[in-house]
Amino acid sequence: MKRIQKVLGILLTVALATTSFVGCSSGSSNTSSSSTSTSTDSSKTSETTNKDTSSAPVETKQEEVKLKWVVWDKDSTAYLQPAIDAYKQIKPNVTIELLDVSSQEYQDKLSVMLSGGADDIDIVTVKDTPGYSSMVNKKQLEPLDSYIEKDNIDLSVYSGLTDQIKMDDKIYELPFRSDFWVLYYNKNLFDQAGVAYPSNDITWNEYAELAKSLASGSGADRVYGSHHHTWRSTVQLGAILDGENSIIQEDYSFLQPMYDMILQMQKDKTIMDYASLKAGSIHYKGVFFNEQAAMLPMGSWFISTLISGIESGEADSTNWGIVKYPHPEGVEAGTTLGTITSLAINSASKQKEETWEFIKFFCGEEGANVIAQTGTLPAIKTDEVVATIANMKGFPTDENSKEALKVAKTYLEMPVNEKSSTIEQILNEEHDLIMTDSIAVDAGLKEMGKRVTEELNK
Amino acid sequence: MEIKTAKNTVTKMSKRELKDNLIAYSFILPNFIGFAVFTLIPVLFSFALSFMNWDGANAITFAGFDNFARLFNDETFKIATWNTIYYAIGTVPLTMVCSLGLAVILNKNIFGRNIFRTIFFFPYVASLVAVAVVWNMIFNPAMGPVNQFLMSIGMENPPRWTASTVWAMPTVIFVSVWKNMGYYMVIYLAALQGISKDLYEAASIDGATSWQQFKSITLPMLTPTTFFVSIMLTISCFKVFDLIFMMTQGGPGRSTTVLVSHIYNIAFKEFSYGYSSAVSMVLFAIVLVITIVQFRMEKKWVSYM
Repeated sequence: MKRIQKVLGILLTVALATTSFVGCSSGSSNTSSSSTSTSTDSSKTSETTNKDTSSAPVETKQEEVKLKWVVWDKDSTAYLQPAIDAYKQIKPNVTIELLDVSSQEYQDKLSVMLSGGADDIDIVTVKDTPGYSSMVNKKQLEPLDSYIEKDNIDLSVYSGLTDQIKMDDKIYELPFRSDFWVLYYNKNLFDQAGVAYPSNDITWNEYAELAKSLASGSGADRVYGSHHHTWRSTVQLGAILDGENSIIQEDYSFLQPMYDMILQMQKDKTIMDYASLKAGSIHYKGVFFNEQAAMLPMGSWFISTLISGIESGEADSTNWGIVKYPHPEGVEAGTTLGTITSLAINSASKQKEETWEFIKFFCGEEGANVIAQTGTLPAIKTDEVVATIANMKGFPTDENSKEALKVAKTYLEMPVNEKSSTIEQILNEEHDLIMTDSIAVDAGLKEMGKRVTEELNK
Repeated sequence: MEIKTAKNTVTKMSKRELKDNLIAYSFILPNFIGFAVFTLIPVLFSFALSFMNWDGANAITFAGFDNFARLFNDETFKIATWNTIYYAIGTVPLTMVCSLGLAVILNKNIFGRNIFRTIFFFPYVASLVAVAVVWNMIFNPAMGPVNQFLMSIGMENPPRWTASTVWAMPTVIFVSVWKNMGYYMVIYLAALQGISKDLYEAASIDGATSWQQFKSITLPMLTPTTFFVSIMLTISCFKVFDLIFMMTQGGPGRSTTVLVSHIYNIAFKEFSYGYSSAVSMVLFAIVLVITIVQFRMEKKWVSYM
């Protein structure tokens, strides 16, 4: 009896002490069950609104409709409120309520909410491709094909992006925002070094040469030629612009020249050391703001950050410009990488028609103009939109910078694939090893290929 | 007649015992309900889930032993298991030695010992996030003060600490020891105060040196505490996550990926709850076996005087 008690005691102690991780893995089930219970209350209300509205056609009904839109960092996202206000003018009976989630945990939390069958969420903002693939796999998003067909939406305005997000020949999201990579440069630092500004057509080799000629000084005062943030995308994705390789494939030897180049730049102290950046969690923003680097390959989302940084006096790099992203030899200038942010319909939503009406507005041309006015690049880049951005207060006035906004072809940073989040993890881990010199480039790329192949064949 | 009364007393006794027991249980009940709802049921659910496939949205399907078979082909699992053992072997003895050493020193009547006790306990209550950021700065391979110092005394290629696959784990172990030794120091201090002064007096009359006193009185008298500390430390080492997540995110590559971070990745990046539960069960089994072994060995070295 004593013995059993003792064994039981050990068991319980261990169970208690290991609670934190077990609680972790089952936490989702707890939260999801609680969110179902709350959502049943709200589903009742949405059911009643639905009953009122479904009897009349969408255009003529005047009953109150309430849509819930899940977004991240509501307060620092400039275009949300203007878009809601603009829609209110067209459809006064529709109220859109925002559900704010912090951007760091956005995908995790959203997945948990949708897993719990949260039917009070109507409009889902899709943050990235791995999240998109995983939500489609879990059947949490509504296919949009029938809606697109019914309303005769012309997908060609998205310049090929919508073809890259099809899964099983169906489309589940419409992009409203699309950012692409450009090369930022600090004109003052170029002038000081006596180097001519870059043009709108430079190759990666020319870029490396340019960076080398700009680096000077030592210690804390060193000015670096360029700055590569710790993301794998700042190294790997320069190599996929020729269209011959994809970032999800079984052989990664095509990345070798790019890694060799970046590692050499790191060795020459043309760019900052990856390991120090990572260990210090240093944001690329500060490096460019403090004039520590003359160039910065980065996404177009940095334009508005930079402009507001200069306005608030936080940034010293007031004299700046952009040019088109560097490209491999023999590739058309203006070929670049892109990320899209899209809207989708929660498949559990009870107001899919009304939700689609808003998505049609927001992802269409009217929405694009509203978004552009807040300094963000919408997915539809009409001449009007480009002009709005280029004439924005604080945007560089030289012709090259305006020209740089015109894109020839955009490749998605991460192609749509059901394994993309696992592959992302593998690519990051091996990138980490190569950049910290823990493994030779060819060996690292081989390991990368081996692990991704295993994952793809699983 | 006699037998009857004896029987009566027995039933009476057990009735009273039953009442006592019920009263005791009623006091335990509120806590037990919490334990059942938030720990026991999730643990059982997790156990059941390890034989299923579930992504959180689609229907749960039965997987049998597939999830456990998958473990044998999972390279990251092997790396993570090895890293966890490495971390535990590095952390447990070091923390015990450091905390015991501190406790013995701060048990003496030295000047300002309360201040020092506070200083050494402070890391334990400090926020882990802040601690991790500060140590990452100190160990920064290029700009950190540690490497600046090493380079200034002529070392050309100092270790790159968290940016090196070789040094990342030792660095994390060091920070972990620094952070936790204060807590175990307090436990040892309490135990030291409990050792009777008579023993030391008797020993010094017999001419024992202070090292002999430490070896023959202090250490044996502390064995129950050492036993407790070793078990608590081992369990906490096997479930380490926060420190690693904050300092290295499992990197560089997978060189500091531990079991719990692997579980987290499978569950919340890949959404295979079934497989992650299977890994959790393995972790549970490892901790259980180690704890049972420790309890078995208890008789051999722990003395309750």
